Amino acid sequence: MKNKDKGTAKSISIRSMNKFFQAVHVLKDLSLEVQAGEFLVLLGPSGCGKSTALRLIAGLESISSGELFIGETNVTNVLPKYRDIAMVFQSYALYPHKTVAENIGFPLKMAKTPKADIDTAVLAAAQQVELGDYLERFPGQLSGGQRQRVALARAIIRRPSVFLMDEPLSNLDAKLRGNMRAELKYMQSKLGVTMIYVTHDQIEAMTLAHRVAVLKDGTLQQLGTPKEVYSNPANLFVAGFMGSPPMNFISGAIDNESFTTKGVKLPLPGAPKSNQVTLGFRPEDCRIVKAGSGAMDAEVYTAELTGDQVLVTLQLHGSQIVSRMPKEFEIGDTQIAGIEVDARHLYLFDSESGLRITADSTR
Amino acid sequence: MTKPAARRSLFEPPDIGQMATATKIVLYTVLLAWSAFVLFPIYWLIITSFKTIAAVNQGPYFLPWIDFEPSLHAWKELFVNDYRDTFRAYFNSIVISLSATALAILVGSMAAYALSRVKFAPNLITILYFVGLLALTGVAVGIYDVDWRVAAATAIALFFFLARAIGRLYQLRLQNGDILFWIISQRILAPIVVVVPIYMMFQSVRLLDTHLAIILTYTVINLPVVVWLMYDFFNSIPRDLEESAQLDGATMIGIFREIILPLSRAGLAATTLLVVILCWNEYLLALFLSTNKAQTMPILVAAMNAGERGILWWTMSAVIMIMIIPVVIMAILLQKYIAKGILVGAVKG
Ligand SMILES: Nc1ncnc2c1ncn2[C@@H]1O[C@H](COP(=O)(O)OP(=O)(O)OP(=O)(O)O)[C@@H](O)[C@H]1O
Ligand SMILES: [Mg+2]
Repeated sequence: MKNKDKGTAKSISIRSMNKFFQAVHVLKDLSLEVQAGEFLVLLGPSGCGKSTALRLIAGLESISSGELFIGETNVTNVLPKYRDIAMVFQSYALYPHKTVAENIGFPLKMAKTPKADIDTAVLAAAQQVELGDYLERFPGQLSGGQRQRVALARAIIRRPSVFLMDEPLSNLDAKLRGNMRAELKYMQSKLGVTMIYVTHDQIEAMTLAHRVAVLKDGTLQQLGTPKEVYSNPANLFVAGFMGSPPMNFISGAIDNESFTTKGVKLPLPGAPKSNQVTLGFRPEDCRIVKAGSGAMDAEVYTAELTGDQVLVTLQLHGSQIVSRMPKEFEIGDTQIAGIEVDARHLYLFDSESGLRITADSTR
Repeated sequence: MTKPAARRSLFEPPDIGQMATATKIVLYTVLLAWSAFVLFPIYWLIITSFKTIAAVNQGPYFLPWIDFEPSLHAWKELFVNDYRDTFRAYFNSIVISLSATALAILVGSMAAYALSRVKFAPNLITILYFVGLLALTGVAVGIYDVDWRVAAATAIALFFFLARAIGRLYQLRLQNGDILFWIISQRILAPIVVVVPIYMMFQSVRLLDTHLAIILTYTVINLPVVVWLMYDFFNSIPRDLEESAQLDGATMIGIFREIILPLSRAGLAATTLLVVILCWNEYLLALFLSTNKAQTMPILVAAMNAGERGILWWTMSAVIMIMIIPVVIMAILLQKYIAKGILVGAVKG
């Protein structure tokens, strides 16, 4: 990649964007600033409006209210083809009647580029995604991973200022997904292009993103680096969504600067008094100990060896608690076990609003 | 297009090339027998067109030069004695079928594309006003001799007034499915029901026995077929492709030419063939709308059966022969696209 190809990336500014489908409010007051050259991941469960957000940015759907800027230009009412955006669809949207070469060269053909220039550009783009040998095939004769690369090559050939990707890896098997993830990340930094990437897979988000935007029901929950979002979640939803297995939650009350629920009393210096709180801690931040010697006792449910670790599930007042233990750990026939929690990694949330409560001891 | 290594499903037969010899022999025997059965009437047509009157009347003869002596008298009658009638009808049939098909395909596929891509929600009450006012205007002009300009202006004014004043009170809206059903319902209606009104309509505008009248009528009666078939073809093209092309910088025309047209070529070919055949064979409406100048081939064929000399089997066979030829040629030409389209369809997704 020559250096002059870099530096075309543009920032994106989404300002109080709303989208209604008839009466349904799908995107609620979304505001986001994406820096030039940034890899931003839109993360959220199915149906939360990720694809809709992407389609609004691309211009495939009209914005109900709010504004959208790409670089310095207001593109709220600009046709898709003038936005200088390339998009990789979840289905790849390859043209089935065109060969790989014709597919990749299509954006240039539409831009009336001379035939010879198209051919050299197609060859270069195809080599970049290692598709050089497949140029004469039709999409139907390719594997899922190869189709994905064709879509990628078709996107990069135009050197757009913004890349949009809608779950491009969800059709691939686990191993290929891992490979393509690494390739995507490498490609993005090499091209220095702005990328907005949609996924519902939090591992993908963690590994790819410079920053993650977590969406739920069309509302932005939190925006931050993967590390921030993981270790400093803004609310119950983000805390429960990030991480696998997810964070453990116990509901109770705060009384006298300690968390209490039936049979549990955990000192939390500085915590404000409250009747309805949820205490959260991650599976890696708790350990199984002898009954009576931890912060709480719980009934052992299952123990699963996943290879490099043992996931022990326990039951406490009807909710499940998972602890991540080293692979040497044996539960034996223990019925009741104690759980010791790492007091430095506790999270406290208001049960009603779901918002994080910060106390001295729960940062 | 990918060749499966193993059999894909229980009921999918292997390629003929992979079959055992005995199976192949049985298969080809059955296929040949069926072809003979299907093609026999055509063989009968060919030999009958070369028979003399005596050979037809004397009994079933099937082998030329053995059973009977071939003669060109029927062909001579068609192309030498009555060549004016024959060529005129032939020419009329070709012009009318091709024009009507072209029009129906053009208008119908645009309508089908719109129905498959745009969500329409016309207000039912507004449509009822429109139809009601149209009928009233017709009555005013036709029966009460109101000047048509006055009637039309009044109707348009009333329509906008009603639509704005009352139309918005009723929110009952039609959807694409309703529109589609309404269109296909035009074809469910038997043409015999409307043939007299159509006749009177063209009579009043003095277009009887013209190409234009028949072309317009055929276009209209075949539109539902085109819309219905093409709607399915367009619907099977994923929208992603068009959106992707849009982002790739394609214009509307570019999308149509590069994506829609190639992907629906099979559908267009099949629909074209069907509509051409429907027009080519149409008899009832042609009978009413043409008397002489605009007569088409089916009318000519029927005439062979109506003379005082009884059924003229020999000339009728010859006429049918020349009627079949263009359709066969078209089928051969279009078949390539139809087969190719099916393959492309299999690649999708
Ligand atoms: N054209 C439409 N008309 C009406 N509602 C729509 C339309 N498109 C999307 N929606 C609704 O908007 C919501 C968000 O849809 P969207 O496709 O953006 O979800 P998503 O986050 O991409 O989900 P997934 O992960 O399953 O792809 C859904 O509830 C969906 O039903
Ligand atoms: Mg989606």
